[in-house]
Amino acid sequence: MTTDGHQGYLRRLAELEAQIGSARLSADVVCERAAGLLAGRIGCRIDEALAHIRTVAAQQDKDVETVAAAMISALETRQVTPSVRLRRSAEEVLRVAHQAPKPRQRHRPAVSVDDAAPGWAAVVQQVLDAMPGNHIVLVGIRDDAGELVDYRLVAVSRTLVDLSGTAGSRLIGRRVSETYPTIVGGPVWQAWADALADGQQRQVGPFPYVHRDDEQASEHLLSVRVQPVGPGLLNSWVRFDEQTRLAERIAQTERLGNLGWGEWDLVTDATVWSDEMYRIYERDPADGPLPREESDALGLPEDEPLRRQAAEAFGRGETIDLTARAMIKGKVKHLRAVIDAVRDVDGRPVKIYGIIQDVTAREMSRLKLAEVQEELRAQQQSLLAEHRLAAHLQHIVLPIPDGPIELDGLRAAVRYLPAEQASRVGGDWYHAAAAGDGTIVLAVGDVAGHGLQAAATMAQLRHALAALAVTTTSDPADLLTHLNRLLYAADAETGTAAVARFDPATHDLAWARAGHPAPLLARAGTVTELSDRPGPLLGAIRRATYDTSTTRLDPGDVLLLYTDGLIEHRSRTLDEGLAPVLAVLGRVTAEPGPPPLETLLGALRRANPDDDTCILAARRHIEAPPAAPGARHG
Amino acid sequence: MRTVSVDTSVDGRLDVVLRGELDFTNASQVAKVVKEAIISGRPSSVRVRLAEVTFLDSSGIGLLVRAMKAADEVGADFRVEDPTDKVLDQLRMSGLLEAFGLAQPPADT
Repeated sequence: MTTDGHQGYLRRLAELEAQIGSARLSADVVCERAAGLLAGRIGCRIDEALAHIRTVAAQQDKDVETVAAAMISALETRQVTPSVRLRRSAEEVLRVAHQAPKPRQRHRPAVSVDDAAPGWAAVVQQVLDAMPGNHIVLVGIRDDAGELVDYRLVAVSRTLVDLSGTAGSRLIGRRVSETYPTIVGGPVWQAWADALADGQQRQVGPFPYVHRDDEQASEHLLSVRVQPVGPGLLNSWVRFDEQTRLAERIAQTERLGNLGWGEWDLVTDATVWSDEMYRIYERDPADGPLPREESDALGLPEDEPLRRQAAEAFGRGETIDLTARAMIKGKVKHLRAVIDAVRDVDGRPVKIYGIIQDVTAREMSRLKLAEVQEELRAQQQSLLAEHRLAAHLQHIVLPIPDGPIELDGLRAAVRYLPAEQASRVGGDWYHAAAAGDGTIVLAVGDVAGHGLQAAATMAQLRHALAALAVTTTSDPADLLTHLNRLLYAADAETGTAAVARFDPATHDLAWARAGHPAPLLARAGTVTELSDRPGPLLGAIRRATYDTSTTRLDPGDVLLLYTDGLIEHRSRTLDEGLAPVLAVLGRVTAEPGPPPLETLLGALRRANPDDDTCILAARRHIEAPPAAPGARHG
Repeated sequence: MRTVSVDTSVDGRLDVVLRGELDFTNASQVAKVVKEAIISGRPSSVRVRLAEVTFLDSSGIGLLVRAMKAADEVGADFRVEDPTDKVLDQLRMSGLLEAFGLAQPPADT
């Protein structure tokens, strides 16, 4: 190292330490670091952690920096950095580098060096063990006349594996003519003899070398540098195919990972960049690496605290792993930098090297993902709000009475089972009230779809029915005709409904339905489906017409109107879904005495918990017995 | 397998094939596809094949109604074909067999 070079190194070191020192002294850095550690530990936001640190400081009547420093020492679990290991290996390399170059000595080999210096061979082996690369040290074997007849391998690099797959240590002691017969008499063979003769270094190749392995022969491009060393010859082998492959592999890895590699030698002030580094910084390799001041200036000011923290960590001998933004050719890039140093025995950096990865794509997708998640959360909240509103609206429009509804000649009861999922609460409704003409109108309906739209349509239908029944007609078919027109005009959802009218004077029961399950009539254990030709569901056909059918309701008869959630299930037919309803209805009405409606409704199990279900049961009063018992007999 | 596929045949008929379960989860999307095909294609007739439909809920029936209304708008004849027995039961309950061209020939009574 020249005096100039050494002073330059000291100056650069001083600059670096000044940078690190200024970072270390900053109270901001201490606070941010403490906040970062705290946030990471308890999983809160950094600003929340900072606020917490300030609160603690105020409580303990200390300044924020002191509390932050205390917190750092409490929270920090120091990672074992690889810098120690790196330092050791660097020292080894440097030691070997000082040993390896041997002056070109003229050296006449002694006769019969074959067994001459086993101690020397052991030393050479130690040197090879510490050196990178693939080296073989040979000594010549001479015949009685002093002629070179063969060579023996006396030291081989541990990492060397020859073409037949034999490891270095197992090659020691072998003869070349036996181990590599194709070399005998070739250019390398000649170079060995020449080098031994004049003590000069030789370079052979690249030359094609044919390797025979059993029946297989393969050709490899090799070159070898032959260097006389003591009584022997140091051969440094290079396999070109391998080296090319390795270089390609590294380049490909760099490209695939958007990884660049750079190195700054503080001793020589030389900076080296890999090809991908130029691509990341969009710089022409001919211009050389970007000067450090310029590359520092690319960083966005917002990331300054991050960079200062990293500089501080570097000062403590840690490996930096930092992702920060840089403005490169007008674009913001997210660059991850992993930076470490080779340090001297005092821990001072000698060489700084870094791997830079362009993680812009990943960062952008992470940011986009966060945006999408935020949108999703907002949307889910608004959906939730809508579902709550729908349920609320339904509750307002469709209050379900706690007890039975007493009507002229009838007692009715309602059970409403909302869908288990809030999102599916929606369109079921019922009606049970006296019409304008004194008859009783009973109805249930179901609007397709769920949520706010369905609830609104449901409200419209129910109110329309109530108004029509009071003002216009109590005829079930006419009522459905009106509702159909209303829904068709709205061009929103379709709906279904079953409407029945009981005349308390005549005990006639009239009914009609629009795309809806048939009402059920239960009389003393016998259940009849009031089936007829069903009219089309509401809102589908502009001029749909409906037919009213009639029957009689006897005392104690039970009429059941329900929506399809009670019987419809995707894995069953409608008949299969209806069977348990018929069974319950039959059983409850078979009991002597007036069938209890609450018991009946409580016993019915709906087929589809994913759908709203509305059940309306009405029982005709059992008239008080005539004043003279048995008067009608006769 | 797609829930819906739409094809126009040479004689100006639009063939819609529906598959699987048609319910509140997919009905509005399928309805949109079918409706757009009808409005933009202005076919002379629309056929909806239900042979591969295993379940329809009220939203699924609503989708057929929307397709029927769209066909009506462009003056196209509308028919539903080949429902399974279970789906036919559901369509019968909806009272739309006639409108869908699925009504049995009038039985003697």
